[in-house]
Amino acid sequence: MSPSPRTKGQARRRPARRPARAPAALPVVEVPVERFVLSSGATLLVSPRAGASVTAIQAHVRGGPSHDPLGKEGTAYLTGMLADQGTKSFSEEEINNVLEPAGGELSGDGSGLSGTIVGDQWKVLVDVMGEVLTTPKFPVAKVARQKERLLDRLLIERDDPRAQSGRMFRRLVYGDHWLGRPAYGTFESVERIEPRDLRAHHRKCWVGSRTVISVCGDVEPQAVRRRFERALRDWKSGSPLVPKTPTFPARTIRVNAFRADRQQVHLFLGHLGIRRNHPDYPALVVMDHVLGSGPGFTNRVSRHLRDELGLAYSVSANIHGSAGLLPGTFTAYIGTSPQHVETALQGFLKEIQTIQTEPVGEEELEVAKSYLVGSFPRGFERAARRAGFMISSELHGFPEGYLRGLQEAFLAVTPEDVMRAARENLHPEACCLAAGGPIKTTELKKALRAAL
Amino acid sequence: MSPARTKSNQPRIKAGASVTEHRLKNGLRVLIAERHLDPIVAVILWYGVGSRDEREHEAGASHFLEHMMFKGSESFGKGEVDRLTTLLGGTNNAFTTADHTAYWFEFTSDRWETALSIEADRMRGLLLDPVEFDAEKAVVLEELAMGEDDPWRSLTREVQLLLYPRHAYRRPVIGFADTLQQMDVATLRDYYHRYYRPDNATLVICGDVEPKKALKLVRDHFGSLPAGAVPQDGSKALGRLDLPAHEPRGERRVRMTWGDRAHRLCMAWPTVRVGSDDDFVLDIVSTVLTGGRMSRLYRGLVLGEALATSISAHNDTHVDPGGFWLYADTAQGVDPAELEAAIDREIERLADELVPAAELKRAKRILRASEAYENEAVSDLAEELGEFAIDARWELALDTIELVERVTARDVRDCVRRLLGKERRVVGWCEPREEPAQAKRSKAKRPRTRTKTARRGSKAARGRS
Repeated sequence: MSPSPRTKGQARRRPARRPARAPAALPVVEVPVERFVLSSGATLLVSPRAGASVTAIQAHVRGGPSHDPLGKEGTAYLTGMLADQGTKSFSEEEINNVLEPAGGELSGDGSGLSGTIVGDQWKVLVDVMGEVLTTPKFPVAKVARQKERLLDRLLIERDDPRAQSGRMFRRLVYGDHWLGRPAYGTFESVERIEPRDLRAHHRKCWVGSRTVISVCGDVEPQAVRRRFERALRDWKSGSPLVPKTPTFPARTIRVNAFRADRQQVHLFLGHLGIRRNHPDYPALVVMDHVLGSGPGFTNRVSRHLRDELGLAYSVSANIHGSAGLLPGTFTAYIGTSPQHVETALQGFLKEIQTIQTEPVGEEELEVAKSYLVGSFPRGFERAARRAGFMISSELHGFPEGYLRGLQEAFLAVTPEDVMRAARENLHPEACCLAAGGPIKTTELKKALRAAL
Repeated sequence: MSPARTKSNQPRIKAGASVTEHRLKNGLRVLIAERHLDPIVAVILWYGVGSRDEREHEAGASHFLEHMMFKGSESFGKGEVDRLTTLLGGTNNAFTTADHTAYWFEFTSDRWETALSIEADRMRGLLLDPVEFDAEKAVVLEELAMGEDDPWRSLTREVQLLLYPRHAYRRPVIGFADTLQQMDVATLRDYYHRYYRPDNATLVICGDVEPKKALKLVRDHFGSLPAGAVPQDGSKALGRLDLPAHEPRGERRVRMTWGDRAHRLCMAWPTVRVGSDDDFVLDIVSTVLTGGRMSRLYRGLVLGEALATSISAHNDTHVDPGGFWLYADTAQGVDPAELEAAIDREIERLADELVPAAELKRAKRILRASEAYENEAVSDLAEELGEFAIDARWELALDTIELVERVTARDVRDCVRRLLGKERRVVGWCEPREEPAQAKRSKAKRPRTRTKTARRGSKAARGRS
């Protein structure tokens, strides 16, 4: 069969074999968790999952990069990176020789450790993680080598417009707060970090009372508890983290550009966002979906800036994704050709204004809500995802039945809720704008003025 | 509903899933993998067409067409695929390679049938509206521009041009700016009708399904679609091009520059077809060289001698002979030639000496373990089954581990000798265009820290050469 060419207006329209409305049933996701407090003070969360081929284990150390000394940013990051490169009892090579053939992986960063292992080998990973959490040695040669690799990366990133404009944006939003500094440091700060800084950070922060460990796999919770109890038996409890009240720059327009000879300009437009416990969180998740994070062309900025105007391949806007214990950011991003910068800014601002002043249509709202409640199970297939969720639940104090409650909260969001939440939480009149690529700061300011 | 001729076979087990193959009368092949760990179903429809099938003026057509598949078909107007997928809490995407194009959906298991409705409709009823075509061309050109801002992608493209001098694999899947600019609706429509047909497609359904019911749904949706017509001129029905393999004569080198401080290395060798005996030997070779921190090149050149900050190897077999790729970032202050020589020594060692039994065993264990990660989600499993099915035969997805287990140290040595010689390779370097002002202010010539371990490693490596 070779049908004759048709244009849009000539298309035959068969009655669609498709649902007009979202299905009524709510997909259920259950992440059963057993919670233990170990003798070291660490919190252990275990979620058994029969038949899972992978076991994931994560150890989150509260505080992380917030403890980086001024001028030595990257300390927490390097502590995590280097923790498995030699411990009291094992060299890096010995650790890798145990883990790798067993299908195990372990990596660290400023927030702690994350590992996975296949089959029934979870005890191997627990033992290695116990050793790495409690007795890392930070050998001088390994620290020097890791620093060199990081410095190489930072040196190359100095000329990367996307990386630099992303950093600039965070700096514009967060100012001098540690969130405004790169978690893995700057070229200058990393050069100053010594092995003793890493040991001091580990001594102070990597302690039982600040650590939450999560395990998900085909495991028996009591057996995991016993194994971790043994692996962490000599670990110090330390002092719990005392949160500080953060301060951020006042909300004003701030613009900066990183000039580089490239094809595209990377634009980051936005401002300080919300905490995860913000009462508008469910309404803002729905708003994000409609405005800039819904899949494909179901969000407005993709539909308008990508599909209708053809300005970009990659475009998005989101406030809820970065919400945590501290405020995240509202960030609208596009990578586009330099001649489209002003049009792109106009497009973002128009869509923000529209969602602040016009109620979301019934169908658009239904699509968003239906997606948010219907997509839950898909987010929980991987063991690592479940382990990460357990850590978040503990840090944020999510109550039992939280996932079902969140689904119901999404379903309860009204068009008025979205409009009000957008009005109260989006501030385009006082936004930060960072760009990287073939554009100067003066040109960027001019484009923003024109768009506003 | 037209009756389907079903080629059912005994189920085979892969990653906890029971896999069966069926074929409809119109030629559509169906693989159903039943696994009930999560209430999720992945549906991936694979077409046996990719950039290898494009003629010169069509470069980029496969990928462009993939974009247009979301811009309206007879029953699902523009935006409907995304709207419906989202309404049902699902997700969708698509990708194009040199050999195939794939469209995937993932839904919870009470609503996955919609994927079949959409795919059946757009298999033969794509609109290719000229207005939408023009709008999407701008998006594809922006995607191309995005890729051109990526130094690794640019370097790979340069190496690829030399690696396959007379084969379509030399072209980037996305095409070139000029071919995309000149692309018109008629060209894309012709391409679509040539390749988007049941007898050139494999449908993979994987996850929480009951196979008999799933197969019935497939028949309902796809059974009435006609197989593609055979051309009157007697040419091959699907018009797949016969493309010449190329045996290189001598090393070829390419150099490009980039506006940063990195010295990036890309080496590539032409190799073999997917599923051939050497394919599994090359999996072992890449694991011995760069699989994990204790692999030869990572341990020796990143952790030991500190000549590189990253290194990776990739066995990339294709429908026609593919390539073995090796990428490395040179450490700052290191002479790039020193890194290249060190890599050469390790590859020569593989060609000269048998891999010790313990090292071979380690590589096999790593490859076996990677199976668990690669099949953790139903979409991963559907992707692995489908890719083998469309490029070779799907049973390879189940037999890989056994085939890897059979590889001997002698196989490794012989394969490296035959395929990874200097005279067969392309070497590409991406070097700093100039010293950027900001970098000049930094300690660009930082002395490298040489540890005792590093010096030992360095000597040992040189001694072996």
